[in-house]
Amino acid sequence: MSTFLQVIFRSLETGSLYALASLGIIIVFRTSNITNFSQGAVAMFNTFVVTYFFNSMGWPLWMAIIAGVISAIIVGLLIDLVIIRHTRKVSPVAKQIVTLGMVMIVLGIAPMLFGVDPLRLPRLIENGNISILGADISYNGLFNIVFGIAIMATLFYILQKTKVGLAVRATASNEYTAKLMGVPTKTVTMGAWAVAGILGVLSGVMAAPMTSVTLNLMDEIQINALIAVVLGGFQTFYGPVIGAYIIGISRNLLLYYGSSVWGGQILYILILVFLVFRPYGLIGKKIIKKV
Amino acid sequence: MKTKFNWLRNPYLQFLLFGVLLAMVPVLAKMGVFKVSYITTLGGAFIFAIAALGLNILLGYSGLISLGTAGFMGLAAYLSAYATMDLNLPFEVAIFLAILIPTLIGVMVGLVSLKIEGIYLAIATLAVSEVMRKTFEEFDFFTGGFSGKTANYPTLFGTFELDRATMYYFIVFVLIMIMILTHNMVNGRLGRALNAMRGSEAASQAMGVNLLNHRLIAFALATIYASVAGVLYVHFIKYSYPSIWSLKLSLDFLAMIIIGGLRSIYGTLLGAVIVFAVPDLFLKQLPYFNQLSYILNGILIILVIIFYPHGLIYAGHDIKRAFNKLRKGAK
Repeated sequence: MSTFLQVIFRSLETGSLYALASLGIIIVFRTSNITNFSQGAVAMFNTFVVTYFFNSMGWPLWMAIIAGVISAIIVGLLIDLVIIRHTRKVSPVAKQIVTLGMVMIVLGIAPMLFGVDPLRLPRLIENGNISILGADISYNGLFNIVFGIAIMATLFYILQKTKVGLAVRATASNEYTAKLMGVPTKTVTMGAWAVAGILGVLSGVMAAPMTSVTLNLMDEIQINALIAVVLGGFQTFYGPVIGAYIIGISRNLLLYYGSSVWGGQILYILILVFLVFRPYGLIGKKIIKKV
Repeated sequence: MKTKFNWLRNPYLQFLLFGVLLAMVPVLAKMGVFKVSYITTLGGAFIFAIAALGLNILLGYSGLISLGTAGFMGLAAYLSAYATMDLNLPFEVAIFLAILIPTLIGVMVGLVSLKIEGIYLAIATLAVSEVMRKTFEEFDFFTGGFSGKTANYPTLFGTFELDRATMYYFIVFVLIMIMILTHNMVNGRLGRALNAMRGSEAASQAMGVNLLNHRLIAFALATIYASVAGVLYVHFIKYSYPSIWSLKLSLDFLAMIIIGGLRSIYGTLLGAVIVFAVPDLFLKQLPYFNQLSYILNGILIILVIIFYPHGLIYAGHDIKRAFNKLRKGAK
């Protein structure tokens, strides 16, 4: 039982990583209709910023993280202002390729600024374990789980209950009509990119202590987040978050109780089979095409 | 003038002439016009162009998107390397196996594509590709794990042993054959059916296009092309390890056909040369070469998409038109 709980705790931690990243992807997708392949790369870049301020400037970690968040906002705004705003007439596939171009630019700039050596970023809460029902979890892990859920709860509150959230939802459901109704859709889209950047850097900072800060820091998270979005469906904001936790938990369970080598592949294949039966994800609805 | 060069307008002759032009590269390299290493770079770009042509049929004509090209190409590369190196099978048998097995999987993905559409399909194929990449990492005795797998230049029909230059000729030969094949297919019944399918599935079905068959054909073609490219790759570059066949390569294929031009055969080739060869050929002298090539490629992709959404292959056409306009204006 205690090992089972331990596995669940670990999965909730990775689940919140995936959830934050997939939430960033879905917010951008809903507002600017782009499947963002650069979410992970931009998050990696901003995590490097955090690491730079922490290691080279000697700032305390929380201040470095704030610096990272600010850089995430700036990068997000720049992406929208310089690139995304000019792609209105471009086909959806080409828009995905635009984000690929951004990945390449980030992959080129990051080593020039921060070097190619892997860097270390410590955990926010260095040590200490807590025992819940016989299962050990570090304070940091617990903090990650709670913090991830808190961030998401705040975002969903803003989306559902405030005027800003209404503007985002209006833009997401129909940009043209929203514009006619006086919603500043351009600002909404810009804000979405900034929020996606913040979610990215937070997931990056959570992921960094598990490995080291390199160019490939977010690759795995990016792919799992994309698959989580598909699993949850592109039509709602909460679907991908549910998908992310499902992936986090079932992945670790499969790795632990199934096969430590083939668990990941088995999970992907199960998701593919699931998609054949529910092609629009857990929450998604089929869009009926008119002839 | 017009009647005199009419024979030049024959597309097959154009393909052949183009092939001869490409085949000049090793000769010129021997004469010292440019470096011998360019053979490897250009050969690599042509190999990637073959896989990109398959994706162009899939995306450009049938409108189905796949992010799994790299996985299939890698699978074929490993199969061919395993068959020739470990099983000591002749190259012809290896190439047959290396095309057959990925194609079967590709057709299965095609079946799935009947249910899943658009971006869901893209990421579903990405999942397939990820499964394969992880399998390459874990399936040690078959793929050599992280350290990778090596292969040799192939021996054709048991007699002709190829080296780098002859392997390059072989690649050009395969590329031209595939270009002609593609030209025939997309300008024939299949191309028309796929075009109709992309325009409107319901209307094309009403016209008697079998949706299932054509989707499967499109996926099978894309996989066959990717497999051919994989086989050529492993026998030309002579090694293969899992991190080559990542999401980035699949996205590179997409970038090639978007930059070069959707539904254009020469455009795909142009895109492949731009994405793979140009950074290698012209930017290597600069400091921070690797980073700069990444940045320039990224900027180029974004600029082309924003300002030239039809692809660079139409640039010549547009320049000619602008020139004609200017001349008319002067008169």
